[in-house]
Amino acid sequence: MSEYKVSHRYAVSLFESAMEKNSLDAVSKDVELIYSTLEKNEQLMHVLSNPIIKPNVKFNILDEIFKSRVTQETIDFFHFLVEKKRESLLDTILKLFLEIRDEKLGIVNVEVRTFIPFTNSQIELLKNKLENYLSKKVRFKFKIDESIIGGFVARIGDTLFDASIKHQLELLKKQFLKGDVSLN
Amino acid sequence: MAEVRPDEISAILRKQLSGFESETDIYDIGTVLQVGDGIARIYGLSKVMASELVEFPNDVFGMVLNLEEDSVGCVLFGDSSLVKEGDIVKRTKRVTSLPVGEEMLGRVINPLGIPIDGKGAINTKTFYPIERKALGVVQRQPVKEPIQTGIVAIDAMIPIGRGQRELIIGDRQTGKTAVAIDTIINQKYTHSEEAKKLGISPVYCVYVAIGQKSSTVAQVVAKLQEYGAMDYTTVIVASASEPAPLQFISPYSGASLGEFFRDNGKHALVIYDDLSKQAAAYRELSLLLRRPPGREAYPGDVFYLHSRLLERASKLNDELGGGSLTALPIIETQQGDVSAYIPTNVISITDGQIYLESNLFNAGVRPAINVGISVSRVGGNAQIKAMKKVAGSLRTDLAQFRELEAFSKFGSDLDKATQRTLARGARLVELLKQGQYVPVPVEKQVISIFMGTNGYMDEIPLHQIKRFEKELWEYVEVNYPDVLESIKKEKQLSDSIVEKLKKIASEMQASFKTYPSPEKVNV
Repeated sequence: MSEYKVSHRYAVSLFESAMEKNSLDAVSKDVELIYSTLEKNEQLMHVLSNPIIKPNVKFNILDEIFKSRVTQETIDFFHFLVEKKRESLLDTILKLFLEIRDEKLGIVNVEVRTFIPFTNSQIELLKNKLENYLSKKVRFKFKIDESIIGGFVARIGDTLFDASIKHQLELLKKQFLKGDVSLN
Repeated sequence: MAEVRPDEISAILRKQLSGFESETDIYDIGTVLQVGDGIARIYGLSKVMASELVEFPNDVFGMVLNLEEDSVGCVLFGDSSLVKEGDIVKRTKRVTSLPVGEEMLGRVINPLGIPIDGKGAINTKTFYPIERKALGVVQRQPVKEPIQTGIVAIDAMIPIGRGQRELIIGDRQTGKTAVAIDTIINQKYTHSEEAKKLGISPVYCVYVAIGQKSSTVAQVVAKLQEYGAMDYTTVIVASASEPAPLQFISPYSGASLGEFFRDNGKHALVIYDDLSKQAAAYRELSLLLRRPPGREAYPGDVFYLHSRLLERASKLNDELGGGSLTALPIIETQQGDVSAYIPTNVISITDGQIYLESNLFNAGVRPAINVGISVSRVGGNAQIKAMKKVAGSLRTDLAQFRELEAFSKFGSDLDKATQRTLARGARLVELLKQGQYVPVPVEKQVISIFMGTNGYMDEIPLHQIKRFEKELWEYVEVNYPDVLESIKKEKQLSDSIVEKLKKIASEMQASFKTYPSPEKVNV
């Protein structure tokens, strides 16, 4: 079975049990914390995916790091994972959990690349436009990308909203070469 | 000296750019995970459709074939060395399709509809997806009009109807393509004014060349041009140098173009030359896409590959315009082995087959059709009555001849009746021989076969049968043009015509001068 399938299954069960116990907010806060910790500390992930280290040692490590910071429910989930020998999938499970949560709550993550940082009013404007278009709430993640020359590129999942100067120049080039064709 | 003013230039630039919109472009993308051997695996493109056209950098296009859990498998229609790992792939939101229209006639195109004959762009208005579902039972009606191939052996014994699927099968160098090309050339008649008066509607032809040498295709196109057949023909080429995906889709493109004519109430003839090479191309890309191999390493759906293609041949009912799409697939066998995987599949799908044999070809029987095992399962209904009447005994006469022929080789004494059967058979075989690019109109075919099966040629020396036939046609054309006219118009042999034919026979026998055979002259 592929890793994705397994991770998805664990993520769904974590999400559903949190919903049942009405502790979604607390659990998702935990998950965000753990996910960012794992992202920052490669070493920790190496330890978790190392088959030589004994399960109880792994559990103790997780327990010690997060015990004072997260709810008992999350600690139980760690225990469960280690017991089932799926601790190496922790990062993908957490990532999928966040995705599932966002989907249920109607939030989409938008990655926006700009040449210069957006002003607050620009962000507000883009947010209103996108929320109207998608009829969902958006959460922005901004990046500076000098290769786009100007304008912005917003990415939602696999869909690009491309208003960059670079793309327009490319289209212009195509138009010149072909005569009068616009691509999309 | 006149100078170009800068404001003039900027005015032209402004005019050229006026249509350029600077709105936000919305499109779906994915990333190339892996590329090579004409295949790409893509991450992303989560909403892509199966068999959708996707765009890679450097103007390379691809078609989505595999939709998997976390990646998309794609075949490339261009040079795969132009695509690199990590490249961005765009959706076109268009299922792979082909521009269709009457404008395609007379042109040579690739399977995506791009002209490759250097005659400029083709201004078509419609697009048809290359993969279309075959029509159901309700939209169809039985085959009823004939496609005249102009080849006597086929039109007499293996008649093909409009909307039929007739397989042409044989080893290499047995004249499979020749049969197909002759059939295309013979459709010229259906575009004439005379045919219009007789109620014969024109047949538009599509010749799909799959995995052939470009030089061979060029020869075919030149021949079609020479005989004026390109006016109503489109040639679709995916030559041996094209990537396997293009070879794989080319017959579907041909079928779509044919369907355009069919759906507009016209008649189309599509030749797939040949499907063995298409199956090999499909095997190549299936293996590269890691689909599990089966018998002869073909993938499991190779039967569906051909059945869905050939099922698109059809005769529409009258409410839908009564158009038709006739398919003549060609299969090349290895050493006459028809029990290999692909030949058996296609034999079982089609409505009959024309077997061409290399030993017949080498013995000088050309076209090298083995009439004993060639059949047409539905074309009989489409044959004109006159032909049905005269050709009825042709098949049995030839069967008897073949049976006795083996016998006679022992050299034992033969009785009169046997000798007569042998003589008759030998003359009929001679009568069915025919040169390439000389299609014979059906009324002349009827007259020749009438003379052959009724024994009016039994006394003519074997080597002079063809001369007798030629002089017979000339004699009828000059002295009895009404006989030809009547067969053409009435499409049957009335008693008075039969009487006249008998009269012609006796007159011909009396006036025909036989010469000693050339061998005897030399001695």
